[in-house]
Amino acid sequence: MTSVQIEVFLQTLIAGLLLGGLYALIGLGMTLIMGVMKIINLAHGELMMVGMYIAYWMFVLFNIDPYLSVFIATPALFFLGIAIQKFLVNPVLKVESILPENQVILTVGIGMVLANLATVFFKSDYRSTPVAYATNAFYLSDFWETSPIELSLSVPWTVSFVFAVVITITLWFFLAKTDTGKSIRATAQDLEAAFLMGVNVKLMRVITFGIGAGLVGAAGCLFLPIYYLFPSLGGQFTLIAFVITILGGLGSTIGAIIGGLVLGVFESMTATYIGMGWAPVGRFVIFVVCLIFLPGGVASLLKRKKFGK
Amino acid sequence: MKRMSLIMSLFFLAGIFTTPLFAADNFNLSIPLPLTGSQAKFGEMEKRSYEIAAEEINAAGGIKGNKVLLEFEDSQGKPEISRAIAEKLIDVRKQPVIIGDYSSSSSKAIAAVAEERKTPYLVVTGAADDITQQNYKYVFRMNPSTAYYSSGLMTFLSNVVKPKSIAILYESSDFGTSGAKDMETQAGKMGMKVLVNEKYEKGAVDFKPILSKVKAAQPDVIYMVSYVMDASLLMKQIKELRIDAKLFAGGAAGFAIPEFIDNAKDASEYVVTSTLWCTMVKYPGSREYAEKYKKLYGDYPSYHGAEAYSALYILKNVLERAKSWTPENIREAMKATDMLTAFGPIKFEDKEGYQNQNFMDTLVLQVINGEHNCIWPEKYASKKYIYPIPKWRERK
Repeated sequence: MTSVQIEVFLQTLIAGLLLGGLYALIGLGMTLIMGVMKIINLAHGELMMVGMYIAYWMFVLFNIDPYLSVFIATPALFFLGIAIQKFLVNPVLKVESILPENQVILTVGIGMVLANLATVFFKSDYRSTPVAYATNAFYLSDFWETSPIELSLSVPWTVSFVFAVVITITLWFFLAKTDTGKSIRATAQDLEAAFLMGVNVKLMRVITFGIGAGLVGAAGCLFLPIYYLFPSLGGQFTLIAFVITILGGLGSTIGAIIGGLVLGVFESMTATYIGMGWAPVGRFVIFVVCLIFLPGGVASLLKRKKFGK
Repeated sequence: MKRMSLIMSLFFLAGIFTTPLFAADNFNLSIPLPLTGSQAKFGEMEKRSYEIAAEEINAAGGIKGNKVLLEFEDSQGKPEISRAIAEKLIDVRKQPVIIGDYSSSSSKAIAAVAEERKTPYLVVTGAADDITQQNYKYVFRMNPSTAYYSSGLMTFLSNVVKPKSIAILYESSDFGTSGAKDMETQAGKMGMKVLVNEKYEKGAVDFKPILSKVKAAQPDVIYMVSYVMDASLLMKQIKELRIDAKLFAGGAAGFAIPEFIDNAKDASEYVVTSTLWCTMVKYPGSREYAEKYKKLYGDYPSYHGAEAYSALYILKNVLERAKSWTPENIREAMKATDMLTAFGPIKFEDKEGYQNQNFMDTLVLQVINGEHNCIWPEKYASKKYIYPIPKWRERK
């Protein structure tokens, strides 16, 4: 490989990892809800859109940086998630119906309502927060002047990535070390056993939906400085989260992180070496291949290894 | 008004005018426009612009002393309704000339009726190439067809930049694909090598992979066909990667509107884009029209408005030259049109497979100091172009 080719490859890899980190955060929320509730939350992208609008208005009205809005949008979405679970999903769970998955259909409806409310209130205009550091970047040649290749690392992308990593670690800590976290994991592993052990399963469900919504709200804030915002943006991110959830293994947190990174890198590589128009195709090739050859996702690979020891 | 017609008839008796006596003092003109439906926004803008022009013309004494009275027929953006309107205007109202309507499909429908009934029709905004490629004798078009949208940019490239290679990025839609294809042919004609020719899905988050490929190919010009948000993201990420092409060019749409600068900020500086019209171009009456429109309706009009506004002036010019106001004579006068309007020079020519088509150099905008400026054609430029553009590293 010539130095130019190496440069293209490394730059693509960097772009893929940064994108993958953000994807992982979106996927995490969905996978968490999937694990505990056993349903796919198809309003996931719309919840992210709500988070982005919160961050956007904070920026416009109070000049609060989108990154600081993480601390506003996340709790807001947490309570929105709780409200959705308590007043919309739970009542539907109780109802006998022909379709066993009518909660899933409910989430589709919630997503539509959210997207259309946003259109009514904020119009279908594209919006973005023109932050001052939007196009700042670190350059390899600034640190190493004789470098044969030039790589750049965008400031907002990097900050978003770091935020995503910190949030993910916090989540891991919460799930592994706290009582509530352990109860959530217990509920996900075996609902009835957890129930028998005295875990308040109903409460765990409510909290989980809240956390899932909060996570994707945070992801929305991190996306705002590097992307833009419009009411119907949810769909494409719901799809991405869905692919990550399948790729990572339904309900597995580690799986979602790895799945997000793999998807990010894969998409970037497709864009560079096959063609950018093919990136969405690549996404679904991964999806289908994973369903056929690795139905348990990355999580099943990890498990197999553990049992092998 | 009575006195006016008296004077006119005196003129007529004196044989100065060979035209027949204009029975009424009013010239009634019905214009089909989409005033409801999805294209209503543009229909409304054109309606207002026609009205501004009519008011000005009437204040200056009308057309040969005839006051222009405008009426609007709602075509709803549907070709079949446009067709019915055209039939009514020609057969029932005996209107000797038709102008207007908005979309290509509606214009096409009217063109067919007009040709059949031998009544001249002036297409104002319909841009599909084939409207003036049907060997129609009675159909004239003042706006450049889609294939010529970037004609100004191409002359700018060949006269100033003289690029040897180009990279084309476009969104995977009808609009993007046709824009990219046109550029590919034009680039081929100019002898440019197309190094990268890639489409992307609208709404993509990250363009850096494809852009690093572009960077490695080192093209002289990077040409992008995108809507505004993709356009801003592209330029922002080009800045991040410090891709130093000789010129960054956009194919109208997303690059030509102020939101592009608002979103891309300093990354939008020096980007050029082709456009049909802009408010600061130095065509006579252009600026005044734009300001008048803004004063009345709060916003600057887009090129659609300027086309409508100028269309009425073209009609005035034609009617003043016509021997009589019969379809045949109006057609002859229209064919001989050679004037400068607020929209640009108008001259109907038969060439390159087109008939009665106005071939004008479209405009080129460049972002200079965070503002769109008209830089090409130089004769009408509001500011001198900046070329060569500084490298990213040397910018503040």
